[in-house]
Amino acid sequence: MTVAAGVGYALIALGPAFSLFAGVIARKPFLVLTLLSSTLFWLISLIVLSGIWRGFLPLKSGVWWPYVILILTSVAFQEGTRLVFWRLYKKMEEMLDAFADRISKPRLCLTDKMLISLAGGLGHGLAHAVFFCLSLLTPAFGQATFYVERCSRMPFFLVSAIIALGFLVIHTSLMVIAFNGYGERKKRDQIFVPVVHLIAAVMTLINLVPGGCLVGTPLLCITAAMTLYYSWQVVGQRITEHQHRQS
Amino acid sequence: MDPVADGPDPPGSAATVLDTLGEEVLAVMFPVSICMALVVLLITLLAPPSSSPSAPPPVTAATLVYLESPSDSPAQKLVGALLDAAVFVALVAVVTFILVALYYYRCTGFLKNYMRFSAFFVLLSMGGAIAVALLRRLDAPLDAPTALLLLFNASAVGVLSVFASAVPILVRQGYMVALAVIVAAWLSRLPEWTTWIMLLALAVYDLVAVLAPRGPLRMLVELASSRDDELPALIYESRPTVGPAETSSSYAPAMWSEESQHRDSAARSGPNLYDRVGQQDDSGPAMVEMRDLGSTSRDMATSNQAVTGQTSNQGGNAQHAVIQIEQREEEEETAPLVSAASANPTIANEEHTQISSSEPPEEEFEMFESSRGIKLGLGDFVFYSVLVGRAAMYDLMTVYACYLAIIAGLGCTLILLSICRHALPALPISIMLGVVFYFLTRLLMEPFVVGASTNLVMF
Repeated sequence: MTVAAGVGYALIALGPAFSLFAGVIARKPFLVLTLLSSTLFWLISLIVLSGIWRGFLPLKSGVWWPYVILILTSVAFQEGTRLVFWRLYKKMEEMLDAFADRISKPRLCLTDKMLISLAGGLGHGLAHAVFFCLSLLTPAFGQATFYVERCSRMPFFLVSAIIALGFLVIHTSLMVIAFNGYGERKKRDQIFVPVVHLIAAVMTLINLVPGGCLVGTPLLCITAAMTLYYSWQVVGQRITEHQHRQS
Repeated sequence: MDPVADGPDPPGSAATVLDTLGEEVLAVMFPVSICMALVVLLITLLAPPSSSPSAPPPVTAATLVYLESPSDSPAQKLVGALLDAAVFVALVAVVTFILVALYYYRCTGFLKNYMRFSAFFVLLSMGGAIAVALLRRLDAPLDAPTALLLLFNASAVGVLSVFASAVPILVRQGYMVALAVIVAAWLSRLPEWTTWIMLLALAVYDLVAVLAPRGPLRMLVELASSRDDELPALIYESRPTVGPAETSSSYAPAMWSEESQHRDSAARSGPNLYDRVGQQDDSGPAMVEMRDLGSTSRDMATSNQAVTGQTSNQGGNAQHAVIQIEQREEEEETAPLVSAASANPTIANEEHTQISSSEPPEEEFEMFESSRGIKLGLGDFVFYSVLVGRAAMYDLMTVYACYLAIIAGLGCTLILLSICRHALPALPISIMLGVVFYFLTRLLMEPFVVGASTNLVMF
């Protein structure tokens, strides 16, 4: 039973990611490599962030404003890394195109680029889920469960699994939106991405209020769903445009 | 993990570049990942409950000089671990030289049989011990005769699969991974400080042994390549399961790992077989090498001009005759367009450059490219897994970080391999990255992430 609980929490957080991986990413070796490097990228950004914050830890549990600063700096930093990731991707795309020319294959098509952005986003989301949720799940496989004082209605593992799922969806779709926005030079999407990331992060601040997790977690899920929907729309629009242009 | 670094895809099949690019890389990363995952699983399963006192670490070749005890001061531990690592690496080096000598005097049959014996021994004794521990942990009842029968049969098939070419490649790959898992699980029982220092020392040793002009591993490779001979060694081949039947003998030499030889010899030499075998197996694996013979040949086959250009490039770096020989054959076999005349001059050039060029920069990984895909020595498997297993004893977070770091290191190695195209040691980059990430994660990231996520604040 306890193992079942642990596996269940892990599947809540990573189930969609796993099916995405098995269904889309694993078919193309290059996407797997993209995913791995994006995960590594996120990990490095997290290490740098924690290096910066290491001096100020541990934060006093009663005070909330340090958390606000933490959220702001973290989101800003991670959006910065997303820009770097985009630059690297652009370089890689050039190399890929050159390579395709050399072996006389067609260049990357639109769906290829979108798949790459999907893999990159999934890598970010996966890294988030792994480090913020999965690595803390070990006790969930044991004999007991764990409640945080401020959230006495839901087990801590369940809350963190749901939050991880939300962020996984948000990271994945934000990366797709961002790559489209950068590629098309759409200002709206470029601003949309950090704003949504910030909103989602701020929503987790609600968890600091006693009982806030009952409000913050559903809100986060709604944000994730809306982001997913928006990215779906963006992709659909882009593809239809592309088809029109071709025909 | 640069895409361009990966070998070019086989001509024909795919519609876009994306479909096949990186296949060879993944073919290596996948078993490595499986091996690490199994070791982590084993270690977390077999970890003694925290309440009971853990058994003292076994006395092995790696702890000959100093046996760590928790009460020692850090300075004591450091000095002791350094001594241990020095002794261990010295042992490995001695064994390697013995192997090279044996190989030089053409005791190939002896070496091969020795390797078979050691594979058998590892599977039977160490694998058996681990299986017993697992059965005990899971409370699975199994009577002794059945267990012995199963174990003996599994070991026998393992021995057959090491060198016999008739065995399906999947079985052989499976046994290679199993061997690596067993040895790594055994090794991860070493005390903490000794493990870290030993890993670093082995990474350095690997670098030197492959890179230095008189490095034992390099001498072995050169010998094997000059003889166009198969080196008896335990190496993981990532060739496609159903591949073209290119079974020319030239590939074989690329696949050897000297580690296995080391292991064998080590195992023999040790009077107290058990521990020694384990350790020396480890030492052996350190020298594992990766070769990616396939991409080279494919490159050649696909574009002749590029081929010649590459060959000349390789000449700068490649100091192993193996590659050249293989290239030559492949050119003749698969790419008739390249005239032998054009091919041979480049080879001659290569040889010249080999003589003249002292050493390539950091490209000393023992990886080769062959038509059969990348080959990675078992030692690399073992020590990657030891690193991850050691990380698993602390926390899962460090496991993920170390895994990513090792895979990234492997990716970098493969990129370098595709650039310089000769055998490279696969340990240094990965181990260095892994160790750095382990300590960064443990010291910096963990308090941060745990502090944030236990407050349910995430971003």
